[in-house]
Amino acid sequence: MEQFLATTLRAAAPLILVALAGVFAFRAGMFHLGLEGLMITGAFTTVAVGHATGSVWLGILAAIGACLVLSLLFWWVIGPLRANIFIAGLGLTSLGLGGTAFALTAVFDTRGTFFTEAVLPRPISGVNEGWGVILSESSLLVWLTPLFALAAWVVLRRSRFGLQLAAVGEYPFAARSAGVNPSRMRLWALLIAGALCALGGAELSVGALNNFTENMTAGRGFIAFVAVIFGAWHPLGAAAAGLFFGLADAIGTQSQINVTESIPREFVLMIPYILTIVAVWMGGLLRRRQMEASAGYAELREPDD
Amino acid sequence: MIGQIGRIVSTVILVAVSFVVTSLVLWVSGYSVTDVLSGTVQGALTATGAFTSTIRWAIPLFLIALGVMVAFRAGFFNIGGQGQFYVGACAALAMALWWRTGPALLVIAVSVVAAAAAGAAWSLIPGWLRVRFGTDEVLTTLMMSFIGTLLLQYLTGGPMRNPEGTGTTASTERIPDAFRLTDSSGVSFRLLAIVAVTAVVIWLLMERTRFGLSVELAGRNPLMARWQGLNVSRVGLAAFAVSGGLAGFAGAMEVFGPAGRLVTGFSPTVGFDAIVVVMVGLLSVSGMALSAVFFGGLQAAILFLPIVTDVPPPALVFLNGMVALLVTARFRSRRRRSAPESVAPEPEAGEQEA
Repeated sequence: MEQFLATTLRAAAPLILVALAGVFAFRAGMFHLGLEGLMITGAFTTVAVGHATGSVWLGILAAIGACLVLSLLFWWVIGPLRANIFIAGLGLTSLGLGGTAFALTAVFDTRGTFFTEAVLPRPISGVNEGWGVILSESSLLVWLTPLFALAAWVVLRRSRFGLQLAAVGEYPFAARSAGVNPSRMRLWALLIAGALCALGGAELSVGALNNFTENMTAGRGFIAFVAVIFGAWHPLGAAAAGLFFGLADAIGTQSQINVTESIPREFVLMIPYILTIVAVWMGGLLRRRQMEASAGYAELREPDD
Repeated sequence: MIGQIGRIVSTVILVAVSFVVTSLVLWVSGYSVTDVLSGTVQGALTATGAFTSTIRWAIPLFLIALGVMVAFRAGFFNIGGQGQFYVGACAALAMALWWRTGPALLVIAVSVVAAAAAGAAWSLIPGWLRVRFGTDEVLTTLMMSFIGTLLLQYLTGGPMRNPEGTGTTASTERIPDAFRLTDSSGVSFRLLAIVAVTAVVIWLLMERTRFGLSVELAGRNPLMARWQGLNVSRVGLAAFAVSGGLAGFAGAMEVFGPAGRLVTGFSPTVGFDAIVVVMVGLLSVSGMALSAVFFGGLQAAILFLPIVTDVPPPALVFLNGMVALLVTARFRSRRRRSAPESVAPEPEAGEQEA
């Protein structure tokens, strides 16, 4: 049981970090389908720079930098260049997946997997029994994830910045009348999202594991996006959804071993997606008015330029 | 007309920019850009069997893209082509294996109908939620796509798994050779004829029929279409059905064409690449045929590159992503409001729905 909870936490932490990134984008009125691409970029850059410098912290710093640059590019394309946000987001994802797989061979001359010594510290390790097992072997970022969720909540719900961001997402025209620049606010949201994705990717590669593998995110960026919707784009809701999807992941991993006979693993893994369809459907019923307001955003963009 | 030409020019420029950026990345990484370019051209066009391979990869892209286009014109963003393609392929294969002794033509016909029906069903779930409750179809089609991928994984690894199969990837039995439309090269006159007929039918449907006009009207201004006495919900549902049906049909063509069986996670990005094909093809059937051949060529080149150079093939995935990132971008000069828009809805149509 303790082991199971530990697996859940470790599976959930990267999801939660990336889901928080999605929440920032969503609050500013953007569906961010590029999370996967940013996450894998973060995972790779941490390993690459961490290995080159010997310091995982420099690796994480570089990962944040790389993701900020990509987020800036994404903002430029969907903002000033008015590209379609879904297609550009999917493009950003291929860019990240293709770019990291390419760089893996170009930099390290390997295909598949690259191992590194520079991994995140683990505050507790080597505990084999009792409740300590839950957090044993978990990296520092797992410990810090709740703090990030709380910080995101404070920033989004209790600060001037967060309220302005929500205003931009829900009714940019009104936000502009109040002297808030929607374009700049969206840039900030995307930059914060980029940094969080970098951390999520780093947790995946050097927190839970000690390597970078081609395509190692395996759709986690999309699951995180799903967690945003399922968590009703509330930071704590998204964190809870991330935890839940981590649980589904852990059940999937376990059922591979024990209960394959009763429930096939694939059906367990479908649960998040099915629940999300239900959640979007119900949420749509409840929040129709709010959705209409945010749908108006595109039309109201005209006076923007 | 001028608007259309401007759009074509700007699309070509954006694809060229993506090529330049990718070349720069290659150059910075110390690879020979000319090697990559010549390898790409060889792999897509000039090497033995290269153009066949290009067409082989272009066919599923083109068929799925046709479907995405229909939904798009109706004002819906169906990004779940991948899942619809998979369930279509599963349905076709199940049918063909179940009735393996039947007359080939009949079995193929029935399987294709089953595949199209499965794809249509997969897209009608989000479609119905959309027209009935206004549930955002971008999210739901994406979710259905992931569910379809898992379903394929389950079927190929469980009930439909070939017990005699060896190797690490789960796959199903092969369908009888009599049912195959092509050999493993994936191109034959029969298959090309089927694809061409499908394209013409969809073109006629969209440009020359009452249905096409209704779709167009409902997509551009649902409110006005309703005032004109059009049943917008029904038109929307039909568009979703055609859209998913075409993706399912593409799945069947994959099974009866090059694949002959199902392998877990085959063609993992074809559904998403098809969306890019639609955008680069500017929502016109002929444009999409051209852009499908272009992206089919890239796919063929990805498989070919390792033979001639040491450049990692993911470089072309990067290029693909770059094109997707940029392709819908528009520039200031063409945003004058006085200029009337041409037939195709703006790429933002989906965004407004969001």
